[in-house]
Amino acid sequence: MNNIAFSSWNGKIVDNRKGKTSTSADIKIPSFPRGGKFSAMMGWNGLVVKNEKADVLSLTLGYLREIRKISCGECSVCMLGIDRLLDILKNIADGKGNASDLTEMQSIVKQVSVNSKCSFGQSALFPVSDAVKHYKADFLAFIKGEKIIAKKEYSSAVTAPCIDACPAGLDIPGYIELIKNNKPLASLDLIRERCILPGVTGRVCTHPCEDACVRKDVDEPIAIRLLKRAASDADLAAGGSVLKAPASEKDEKVAIIGAGPSGLAAAYNLRLMGYGVTIFESLPHAGGMASVGIPDYRLPTDILDHEINLIKRTGVEIKLNAKVDSLSLKELKKEGYAAVFVAVGAHRGNMMGVEGEDAGYDGYIDGVDLLRDLNLGKTIEPKKKVVIVGGGNVALDCARSCARLGFKDVTILYRRSRVEMPASDEEIEGALEEGIAITYLAVPVKILEKDGTVTGVECIKMKLGKPDESGRKRPVPVKGSEYTLKTDVVVAAIGQKPVLPLSKGKEKIDVTPWGTIKTDPLTLMTNVAGVFAGGDCVTGPATLIEALDMGNRVARSIDAFIAGRDMADEISFAEVDLKKQRDRGFVVNEPAKEVECMAVKKRLEGFDEIEGSFGTVLAMEEASRCLRCYRVVVWE
Amino acid sequence: MVTIKINGQKVKAEESSTILENAQKLKIDIPTLCHHSDLSPFGACRLCSVEVKTNGKWQLASSCNTPVEEGMEIVTDSKNVYEGRKLAAELLYHKYPTTKAVRDMAEKMGVAVSDGEAEGHDCILCGLCVRTCREIVGVNALTFQDRGPGRDIDEPKIEFDPSRCIGCGSCAYVCPTGYVTMEEEGAKRIIWDKVFTMVSCSVCGKRFAPEDQLRYISRQTGVPFSELSVCVDCR
Repeated sequence: MNNIAFSSWNGKIVDNRKGKTSTSADIKIPSFPRGGKFSAMMGWNGLVVKNEKADVLSLTLGYLREIRKISCGECSVCMLGIDRLLDILKNIADGKGNASDLTEMQSIVKQVSVNSKCSFGQSALFPVSDAVKHYKADFLAFIKGEKIIAKKEYSSAVTAPCIDACPAGLDIPGYIELIKNNKPLASLDLIRERCILPGVTGRVCTHPCEDACVRKDVDEPIAIRLLKRAASDADLAAGGSVLKAPASEKDEKVAIIGAGPSGLAAAYNLRLMGYGVTIFESLPHAGGMASVGIPDYRLPTDILDHEINLIKRTGVEIKLNAKVDSLSLKELKKEGYAAVFVAVGAHRGNMMGVEGEDAGYDGYIDGVDLLRDLNLGKTIEPKKKVVIVGGGNVALDCARSCARLGFKDVTILYRRSRVEMPASDEEIEGALEEGIAITYLAVPVKILEKDGTVTGVECIKMKLGKPDESGRKRPVPVKGSEYTLKTDVVVAAIGQKPVLPLSKGKEKIDVTPWGTIKTDPLTLMTNVAGVFAGGDCVTGPATLIEALDMGNRVARSIDAFIAGRDMADEISFAEVDLKKQRDRGFVVNEPAKEVECMAVKKRLEGFDEIEGSFGTVLAMEEASRCLRCYRVVVWE
Repeated sequence: MVTIKINGQKVKAEESSTILENAQKLKIDIPTLCHHSDLSPFGACRLCSVEVKTNGKWQLASSCNTPVEEGMEIVTDSKNVYEGRKLAAELLYHKYPTTKAVRDMAEKMGVAVSDGEAEGHDCILCGLCVRTCREIVGVNALTFQDRGPGRDIDEPKIEFDPSRCIGCGSCAYVCPTGYVTMEEEGAKRIIWDKVFTMVSCSVCGKRFAPEDQLRYISRQTGVPFSELSVCVDCR
């Protein structure tokens, strides 16, 4: 970064104010909206000044005012310390300070940092100390009455490592705090502001937030997913609350194609703004992959249905068995729709490129088709042995479902090793517990059959070569290592791609070489004005929370489009290591609380949900482990 | 049992006992404001801070909610400890200068305090009432107000849920500053502005408990309400 007058970011001092020539510094700070321009900023890890004329005392006051809003007041030193700093600084700004104030400020910063209970208090005050130390002359000028305070208003943003890691940006410390304070229903309201499927994500979210949790480096991350589920369970136990209804109605209607997580999130958010919303769903059941891609033992249908019904009760219309074959906004406009959101997901299994896979053999099935059939109630007769090809969650879900259906021998074939396996650890461990075998470093080369019925697969062993573009080691076939695996059923689960509705002429939608829809990353609009797209049909098969987030975002974008406004970009912390803090105080070692899971034998008897729930007390105890690592930044 | 070292003295300590409990056994004076031995530790007042050696580094830790570990080294009387406690007391005193419990503590920690009448009864957010209501009474009528992004609250406070409160008065009993009050006037008892009707003992006629509390006990124990109308003295 160029043209910096002063920086203490991450504790590294760069000072060019007296013509020093440490020309540029590689400082990874947040990227501010409108092209990243700023003249001065103060955040949890330091202070960065570009414009030498910036009033650092005013900036410090602005920063303290913002962190005061986040300090919870539970431990006495943090909030009271910030109050005291604000009092002292206001006094100095009013020309009523004296030099000893600066010593007192430093002492407060030090004690709050070492004696606060949570990460927030332990980290928030370092930049204040930097300002007092490195802008001492400025502070003294105020004390002598030589300077008058400049600006009063600053832009501000709040994040946390977990919030930033969550695709939907949920206020995780916020809803955890409400659970800790025994207000699970208020917690659920906060969750619903950005996640309209809390019971669903509370069960199946891949929880990138937990990987980002600061506590992970202390003992174990907070069980964030299970806490979200606890809030949702508490709501159901209390009879179930309804969703917020729109304050007023708008004239415009929006069409949504696909009632998956992305479509549902967009639908509710648009409805909340007052738009009329119709979802066209090709399947007889709403929910998309959450409905037909996830087995009941991980996500019971009634949980999903309850959350969909709540969305419907706000006035969202869902037309089932309503496949949209060809897409034309022009036609939809005739029916009164002002915009359309394409969220058809990715429901067609990829081909393996193996001899016999498209021959229609009895005993050969695609993974997503298997899960869909199962979820839509089709009877699947178990045979003796099944081989599932793939290493993602679809493969694992197929394997675990087959074990429940009564297949005696279930084997997963994966071309790389355990480390590279994209399925979640919970799924892999669950599968192993249930007696499912995983053969690593092998792929099928030919489906073997007799009279049109599968009898086995010819496989070849693989070894790992150099990393490919995904960063994972590329599997390379081992010459001459072919072998035959006898099996009655082969399930291919090596990824999915979307089946898009036809679009023609001027309304033809641009797609990528992978068959996904091209969109503007900010507005999620396609090349056709008024046609938006999101979820798996844009990203390829991704996580539920990513799809849901795109639904949230597209609602704001469609609203801006209809109103003729531009979408404003937001502050980004992508370049910043949010886990990093200048120093960390003492944290009591306390492992995460655990929920009970069904015994393996019982699991295999059917499709009942296997994971238990925190009760009120355990949820509150687990929530108390949160270190509340809020990071605040102000800038001008 | 684990072995720990407090102020250089090697002692045996029960596993999962806290530093504070062990220090108290050794008659080491550690100041506390938010601690109560019958309630779960909370770590709010930061006055019980001691130094603990973790990963080779001495750090301040609140002794009330830090369990001992094998080989743990603890110092309760260092300069850092006294400075930390003093600043915590000083900040509380700045905020609540007329509240007696706070002023007494500040004075004890070496803060210069004014010697006027301490007649304030501020809530210092120690959480004793919240924990008593939840852990001892089991009613959950009191909770902390939530803070965080988008919830700009000037002065966080304890929230009272009148629909849950049974009027038992435990919160008023445990409150160290006199902020929570309980008033009785004839057949009425007033707590947190909620008015309760007191029940008279069917034997001696003395008013002994709020009706809501007896109904709560009846619900919890299955004993009919009518059988709870005798006071403890007459039972």
